[in-house]
Amino acid sequence: MDALVEELIKVKSEGAGAVLITVVESDGVDGLDSGAKCLVRDGRIVLGSVSDPALEQRIVREAAERLAEERSRLLSLETDSGGQADVFFEVMPSPPKLIVVGAGHIAVPLVKMAKLMDYHVVVVDDRILFANRERFPEADEVVVGDMAETVKDMDITPTTYVVLITRGHKYDEPCLRELLDRPAKYIGMIGSKRRIKACFERFKEEEQISEELISRVYAPIGLDIATETPEEIALGILGEIIKVRRGGKARSLSRK
Amino acid sequence: MENIYDDVKEFLDKGETVAVATIVSTKGSTPREVGAKMVVTAWGEILGTIGGGCGEADVRREAIEVVRTRKPRTVRVDLLDEISSDSPAVCGGIMNVFIDPWWKDEEGDEKSA
Repeated sequence: MDALVEELIKVKSEGAGAVLITVVESDGVDGLDSGAKCLVRDGRIVLGSVSDPALEQRIVREAAERLAEERSRLLSLETDSGGQADVFFEVMPSPPKLIVVGAGHIAVPLVKMAKLMDYHVVVVDDRILFANRERFPEADEVVVGDMAETVKDMDITPTTYVVLITRGHKYDEPCLRELLDRPAKYIGMIGSKRRIKACFERFKEEEQISEELISRVYAPIGLDIATETPEEIALGILGEIIKVRRGGKARSLSRK
Repeated sequence: MENIYDDVKEFLDKGETVAVATIVSTKGSTPREVGAKMVVTAWGEILGTIGGGCGEADVRREAIEVVRTRKPRTVRVDLLDEISSDSPAVCGGIMNVFIDPWWKDEEGDEKSA
């Protein structure tokens, strides 16, 4: 069996989600002294062991919950035999993925800032003059191709954030159509209030897309911080993504 | 973002024992969040931060002891000094920091207490 440190490094480099469990203090629990550890990944203990099966089940369940909320926590767990252990759940979340559709002026600072914050960043555009490594040296992936088709084929999970900032609504809208029923944590779309309203009306009337799905979209995109330059707009977008990820309360331009 | 376990591995591979200090719980206002970590070596060298200031200095001192004894301990850091004082410990909160020794034993397996 790989040693714990090796495994922790592997978890990080693979971008996997895992929870390291450490006993901080225990009272009357066999084999669980202060400092005892186990690692939970993919819903099971992959390293270390817990002798009490009921406690093991509890730990695995708690680990899944902590991972879902991306928050490390100290919990006091009791065993059937009357023992008690203070156990620290250290969450190592899989890095959030940011998909930037449209490689224009806003995308450049947005990708830089998102990399500073450790997002896995993918840039998509149908123009190789824009979607290229010289323009986005920090991006994890740069994809050239039809934007809606590319988005359609992408793996989108509850830790995926999608920003639609293409050069026009003609391109944003087909992408949005592909995204509405996918499990992304965040979908934001650029555009003036007027154009967005028209787009949403069309979606509702002509395509019978439900209000519920449409209301997921953050459009106009970004926080209400009176942004002007592309860099400021990028900051407003990333601020909104952080708000959604962490459960903040700042006001969005979409009034959310 | 840097992975703190890369640093831990480097020290263990050199045969050194290090202490990993982790904020496991907080109350009130603290400079860093639950889960923030720092590594402390036998000589008191620090990698990462749990918020700096005198709280961190206390933890560092305890961590050197943890490296020496290879026994984990929990340290309570109080940041409740008067706001008017010159102390940096005026955040207003309390944090509990678990300090855990990590080392590699002779068979090459990594150990933590």
